[in-house]
Amino acid sequence: MSTITAEQSNESGLARLRELWDQYLPYWLATPMVLVMLVITLFPGAYDLYLSLVEYKMSSPGSIGEFAGLSNYRTAFTEAGALKSFGVTLTFVGGALAMQTVLGFAMAALLHGVKSDRAEAFYRVVFILPMAVAPVSLATISRVMLNTEVGIIPYLVRELTPFAAPTFLSDFPLLTLMLVDTWHWTPFMFIIFYAGLSSIPDTLVEASRVDGAPLWRRYVHVILPYMKPVLFVAVLIRMIDLFRHFGLAFTLTGGGPGTATQLVSLNVYEQGFRFVDLGAAAAIAVVYLLFVIAVANVLIAKVGFEGVWE
Amino acid sequence: MSEERTPRNRYRRSFLKASGVGLLGGLAGCTRGGSGDGASGDGGNGSDGTGSTSTDGSSGDELVVPLSEYEDADIEWRQFEGSEVNVLAPQHTWVDMVEPAIPVFEELTGMSVNINTFPEQQFRTKRLTDLNTGAGEYDAFWNVRTVNQYREAGWLEPLDQFFEDDSLYDGDWYDREDIFETVRWRCHADGQWDKWSGLPLNTEVQVQFYRTDLYDEYGLEVAETTEQFVENARTIHENESDVVGAVGRGQKGYGMNVYVLNTFVQEFGADIWDSKPDDSGLDSAEAVEAAQFYVDVLQEYGPDGAGSQTWNDVLSTMQSGRAGHIVSDANLFWPGLTDPEASDVADTVGVAPVPYPEGGSLGPNQSTWQMNTSKFADNSAEAFLFMIWATSKPTNNWMHLDQGAGFSVRQGIWENDDFRSRVGETFADATIKSQQAADPISFDRHYPEWGQLYSEEVQLAISGDKSPQEAMEAAAKAAEDTF
Repeated sequence: MSTITAEQSNESGLARLRELWDQYLPYWLATPMVLVMLVITLFPGAYDLYLSLVEYKMSSPGSIGEFAGLSNYRTAFTEAGALKSFGVTLTFVGGALAMQTVLGFAMAALLHGVKSDRAEAFYRVVFILPMAVAPVSLATISRVMLNTEVGIIPYLVRELTPFAAPTFLSDFPLLTLMLVDTWHWTPFMFIIFYAGLSSIPDTLVEASRVDGAPLWRRYVHVILPYMKPVLFVAVLIRMIDLFRHFGLAFTLTGGGPGTATQLVSLNVYEQGFRFVDLGAAAAIAVVYLLFVIAVANVLIAKVGFEGVWE
Repeated sequence: MSEERTPRNRYRRSFLKASGVGLLGGLAGCTRGGSGDGASGDGGNGSDGTGSTSTDGSSGDELVVPLSEYEDADIEWRQFEGSEVNVLAPQHTWVDMVEPAIPVFEELTGMSVNINTFPEQQFRTKRLTDLNTGAGEYDAFWNVRTVNQYREAGWLEPLDQFFEDDSLYDGDWYDREDIFETVRWRCHADGQWDKWSGLPLNTEVQVQFYRTDLYDEYGLEVAETTEQFVENARTIHENESDVVGAVGRGQKGYGMNVYVLNTFVQEFGADIWDSKPDDSGLDSAEAVEAAQFYVDVLQEYGPDGAGSQTWNDVLSTMQSGRAGHIVSDANLFWPGLTDPEASDVADTVGVAPVPYPEGGSLGPNQSTWQMNTSKFADNSAEAFLFMIWATSKPTNNWMHLDQGAGFSVRQGIWENDDFRSRVGETFADATIKSQQAADPISFDRHYPEWGQLYSEEVQLAISGDKSPQEAMEAAAKAAEDTF
């Protein structure tokens, strides 16, 4: 009798385990990745926070490691140009994001209207090509192309227009940076928008057409609302990526002239690796991280993820 | 200018050539820091782009330098037989050129050598990490502007103890006096240490480059003074529709525009520091005058957007025949400017010492890569033996006579007839004269910071956003505040 009870007990234990497994299956599956993420984000984040609170300027080796309170934050925002670099970054992100969203959508819409499969396949490849170029190579090529003496772009401006060729990297460096980044990353927006447009049921568009809606109304009242989740995800991903922007600006302008294109990422690099002031660099990075998280959360709260995962 | 080449064709050709230069410079050039401002032209770069170089100790079929050239030295080459030396280096022509000779060292000493090379930014980061953490992974590492930063942090091992060890060093054979005096000064932590901080690998010095065909056409003479230089630049600028009078580095970066400007700051009679750390000399009347000269040359006779020109842009503009002069830059541009494959002006480019103001004297800036060892390294003595071998006359002669190098720290090679006939008498003479007269600026431990801020101000002046006076005053304040 007692044996039977034990067997029953074992069976019920296994059943209970199986039930727990089934009940929490998504969590079990996600656990390894969560642990990995904790290790690769929590530890560096915590270490960054620690660095921001201690003296860590390697050109002043005597005081390295001493608790510094919030002095690194004060240094970052009063002496290290963090405030200005935040302004530059916001302008860059806002401008580039707007250009890439509008252009990417326009390209997707245009290609969506192409009826020939061969032409569609051709343009799809051509549109995506810029994304394949490495940022540093793109920046180097761009520097040559924009060079007033030997560059093809000033040459074309001189030859094809009545205007004098501008000096892109001196006269409007931030705009130039946005334009080159737009050339590089509009294909990313194009791909997402094109996939979104392709997923819209034909019947929906046909119905609006039958109802007599002109093209712009179909876009405003049918296509764009349907595309809202896709638009949101694309803008969010691209925005975060733009906040992380580094390689192109580093090579193309180096943050100059002066500090005209000194993005936060460049400023952190300069403080950390050029001025070897890891404390100030960490302080800027901590504030920047919180700032980007806040912007992303505000966006999510205002626009929301409704429909995104459906 | 050739009449057969229309401006349109010339533009197209210039673009293609410049694209080639840009691409090559850029692709390898990520090696110079990406931003370019780490790209001081400290030695050029002929890297094949490989991330790491490692030798396996095999001697190969035939040694490129006979062992007998080293066996004359009163040095116990085999005292560390079986041990290993790890060297950290940026991707650099020196590494490429010395690599075939590494088996010679390995055969001579019974040691093995691993040279780990990285693109320059990664190299700097790796070096800093190795020293800051005290890991001591590398027995020797390259250094150029952070010697005093590392010295004051207590990381550098002076070489004097090794020089005093008779089993490691033979003074008569090595002949330190053959090394340019300014280079030896650099190897004493830029004159700030009475000890040897490292041994020199290469050196470059500021010179001017000019177009001999345009000089002939307009009857110009090579400028000794800045006043004559301005006149020459003006003549070419005003008479040539497709050629600017002069080009020069405008991009910010402590190894970029100020690397060139410092030549003139000192030649105009200013000191970078009147009294460190309270009184920077950058806002002195002479320094402002020097900045005014450099800014005026670039703004009035330079290309549009001169403020964004890197050394790479300067080189490609001159190579494509679009500039009458390079106002001042590394003598190491010479091979690139005279290579017919790379340069449209290969046969019509001249080189001379940089100009100096009337009543002043020649005193160009100079740069030297040196190899250091650290207090954390396990094999500093072994590393020293490698440095002695690598910078000795036999190795240096082989690199410069057989390998095509042109950056020797030894005066003897610049006076060697075979070498002079290969690189040209004018280049050799301009280099010797400039090295002997060089007045290099001393990099203190805060230089990466105030040098960068100073360069940002200079860039604003070149771009026309500030007057040279305002820029230099701001630069002086930034330098003083850094301390």
